[in-house]
Amino acid sequence: MTKHTIFPVSRVLLSLFLICVLIIMILPFAWLIISSFRPNTELFREPFAVPRHLSFQNYVSVFKSQPILLYFGNTVVVAVCATFLCSFVSVLASYAFMYAFPAATKVAAFLAIGLFIPTNAFLVPYYVMITKIGLYDSAMGIMFVYAGINLPQSLMIIKGYMGSIPKTILEAADIDGASSHMILRKIVLPISVPGIVTACIFIIINCWNELLFANLLSQSDVSRTIQVAIRSFLTTFSANYAHAFAAMVISILPTIIIYAFLTDKIIGGMTAGAVKG
Amino acid sequence: MTVIFFIVPFVYLLYVGFFQWDGLTPMKFVGIGNYRKVLADPVFRISVRNTIIWMLTATFIHVPLGLLLAFLLDRRPRGWKVYRFAFFIPNIISTTAIAFLWYFLYHVDLGLINGILELIGLGTYRHGWLNEPATALFCNQVPFALYVGLTMVIFMTQLSTISPDIFEAARIDGAVGWRKDWYISLPLVRPAIITNLMLNLAFCLKTFEYPFLMTGGGPANSTMNLSLYIYREMMQSNRYGYSMVGGLATIILGCIVMGIILWVQKRMKEEEL
Repeated sequence: MTKHTIFPVSRVLLSLFLICVLIIMILPFAWLIISSFRPNTELFREPFAVPRHLSFQNYVSVFKSQPILLYFGNTVVVAVCATFLCSFVSVLASYAFMYAFPAATKVAAFLAIGLFIPTNAFLVPYYVMITKIGLYDSAMGIMFVYAGINLPQSLMIIKGYMGSIPKTILEAADIDGASSHMILRKIVLPISVPGIVTACIFIIINCWNELLFANLLSQSDVSRTIQVAIRSFLTTFSANYAHAFAAMVISILPTIIIYAFLTDKIIGGMTAGAVKG
Repeated sequence: MTVIFFIVPFVYLLYVGFFQWDGLTPMKFVGIGNYRKVLADPVFRISVRNTIIWMLTATFIHVPLGLLLAFLLDRRPRGWKVYRFAFFIPNIISTTAIAFLWYFLYHVDLGLINGILELIGLGTYRHGWLNEPATALFCNQVPFALYVGLTMVIFMTQLSTISPDIFEAARIDGAVGWRKDWYISLPLVRPAIITNLMLNLAFCLKTFEYPFLMTGGGPANSTMNLSLYIYREMMQSNRYGYSMVGGLATIILGCIVMGIILWVQKRMKEEEL
């Protein structure tokens, strides 16, 4: 075996180092969660003392004072619709790429450029486009922008997955008399479900966490997403940090839960296409 | 769809760049006036400089740290899956939440960082971390530099694709431990280094939440970056034309950086041949 398994000392050192890094990374989150259960006055007096009064009071008052559920609903609608639209378009486009058509590689290269263009440069054009269509301050407007900015990435994941399907399957189905629609529905779609799911998870998390465009395109409660709401907590609750902490925990809870259940899928999805084996 | 979301905005971007426009009154053609004014704007210069500093942080701190952790976890210490799970959490949580969290960590009175300094007897080093121009930009970047989950996982995936035969041969030749990592693994994860650089540099060009939420660009504009410049010129100053020029600058900077990376990649491929 290699050296470091013979000398357990280096193993111990390695573990110690990793635990240190772990503490540095996780400590802030632990502090956040504990603080969110403490009353504001206590938090101000002694921020790091062992907490004495833990209660859900902060959470209750956040829910009472703000339409958190509405923000949640908005975010879910935006994220789900954007994901559906984006993956639908990606699936159709990827399917087209399975057939050799003129200039296919050029089109693919062109689409890949989208991956590296910083979308925030398009703040004003998006704003004007969405306003002109009349979707300013609506969940729909945000949804379209999200679907658009996530498209290159989802296309890359799904296209990569479909590209690995052997072409002979398509030919065989073609010989058996399946139309190209049937091939897509009956053969290609079922095979590429894992790839599509990966892309969907990726887009949903992106949409959930996006702030810039949501902030830009929403104005009132009807279209406000959870991230924008969290941002406004800092201004409205500037003296009541305990409430702000509770709101932050509420906003990150869903993604953490999803992550806990789908760790491998998510890690796989976020690295998919980045590494060619 | 790419046409709608990337080409149309781009053309529009070029077009409005030539106008003086506040979004309400009709546009006024000013030719290259906007470009001249923006280029002379000291805040714009700071923004470009800071964006470049962000990218340097990504290249020299974020990516190497991710690589180091990937090498360590690749030795499969006990509970490596737990570490991977925990290190990746910040990539799942929104940047908004992280930025706020760190805003509180840096807080003068409540902040965990000042608290810890006090605790270990370094109370004299207490700072208004985000209120002083000297430390603000650096503090903005700490969370980004620290949370290397995605970068690390990409390296780990690449490491796991290396054939065991290579390591077997290396072991027989006497390369173990750090020497194995340095001479055998490092050259083989070069493609992942390129990928990570691209992803992180693209992130740096885009990053908006950290400066926006933690400092709002201040104090004295010391933490401005290009995203924030675009946003501020548009939403607060209503100078859409300026904002467009800022956007164009971001794209040009992005193209330059990507060009450099692709050039390096090509050089590397040639070396291998």
